[in-house]
Amino acid sequence: MNEKKEIDRRSFLGMATWAIGGLIGAGFGIPAIAYIISPATRKDEAQDWIRLGSVSKVELGTPTLFKTKIERQTGWITKEEELSIYVLTENGRDFVAMSNICTHLGCRVRWISDQEQFFCPCHNAGFSKSGEVVSGPPPRPLDQYQVKEEDGQLYVLGG
Amino acid sequence: MGSKIADWLDERLGWRSVWEAIFLRKIPKVNWLFTLGSATLFVAVNQAITGILLTLYYVPTPDHAYNSVQYITNEVAAGWLIRGLHHWGASAMVVLTVLHMLRVIFLGTYKYPREITWFTGVFLLIIVIGFGFTGYLLPWDQKAYWATTVGTKIASVTPGIGDWILRVMRGGPELSAVTLARFFGVHVWVLPSALMALSGLHLYLVIKIGISEMPGKDD
Ligand code: FES
Repeated sequence: MNEKKEIDRRSFLGMATWAIGGLIGAGFGIPAIAYIISPATRKDEAQDWIRLGSVSKVELGTPTLFKTKIERQTGWITKEEELSIYVLTENGRDFVAMSNICTHLGCRVRWISDQEQFFCPCHNAGFSKSGEVVSGPPPRPLDQYQVKEEDGQLYVLGG
Repeated sequence: MGSKIADWLDERLGWRSVWEAIFLRKIPKVNWLFTLGSATLFVAVNQAITGILLTLYYVPTPDHAYNSVQYITNEVAAGWLIRGLHHWGASAMVVLTVLHMLRVIFLGTYKYPREITWFTGVFLLIIVIGFGFTGYLLPWDQKAYWATTVGTKIASVTPGIGDWILRVMRGGPELSAVTLARFFGVHVWVLPSALMALSGLHLYLVIKIGISEMPGKDD
């Protein structure tokens, strides 16, 4: 195999054209992909302690709903978002804070007191008062927040 | 392998004859000035690609336009580059289109049988200017706002129907959300459609008729 392939002017220019075209294509393509996926690669904002309200509002043995507002930065918009958190305590000292977001596909669950269950209307899921799945499709218990109590106020860690 | 696929496709699509007609056609001996049209086309493609990308984040309403542009420029990865390419490409479009036209004028290639190529080219120039005019408003900053205030006001000195033209352009007597929305719509839908249709015809004619020879002293 020592036959030397002659590259004539025409095929050289042809190849050069493809090479330059490829470079230009990459020059557009790579930044374009970075540009498109950019918002998805942003880190979630830092977590912070969010005040829920007074400890005395929590009823013993029943999940109690706390609503609080947090500021979220999405794109170029800063907006207030409402956070709904159920707090449960059995002894008035240890608290469990549960998100009201269904672990199935993200609908909001609601505490139905006469059934002693959280109910998700989207696909009829039921969760026990501590958040365990009782019925329906959710794959895991309700998500929990880290909670702390300070000077009679409840705080959860979130963002 | 590659050529087998190419053959298979050619049998069904006939792409080779199209390829040959476009890229392997015979051209007379001409100079670099004859690349100005291709250069314009290249920048037009750049404008289309970067323009489409910009619409992923840009929002054409008074309360979001400016902030979404700032977001693109400062927050989105390569946003400064995409916006910069679109911004500078816009100026390059106008410059290249005009240079291309001057070449055609000086070499007299607007004459028979290329009159239709010429007239589509004239409309394409108007479209390019329309792109520049409508695109200038979209960042919705002070410069954009006042440039469009002045630009639409200039149109209003047209005798007789001037005030009516101003109202149609602004979508009312004042520059407003309506103005921004319609400038955006014209910039991303109306003008691109017109540009594609006319440049399609323009390019078809360039290929169909072929490009002219350099005129000699006694032509
Ligand atoms: S989202 Fe709650 S059950 Fe499907």
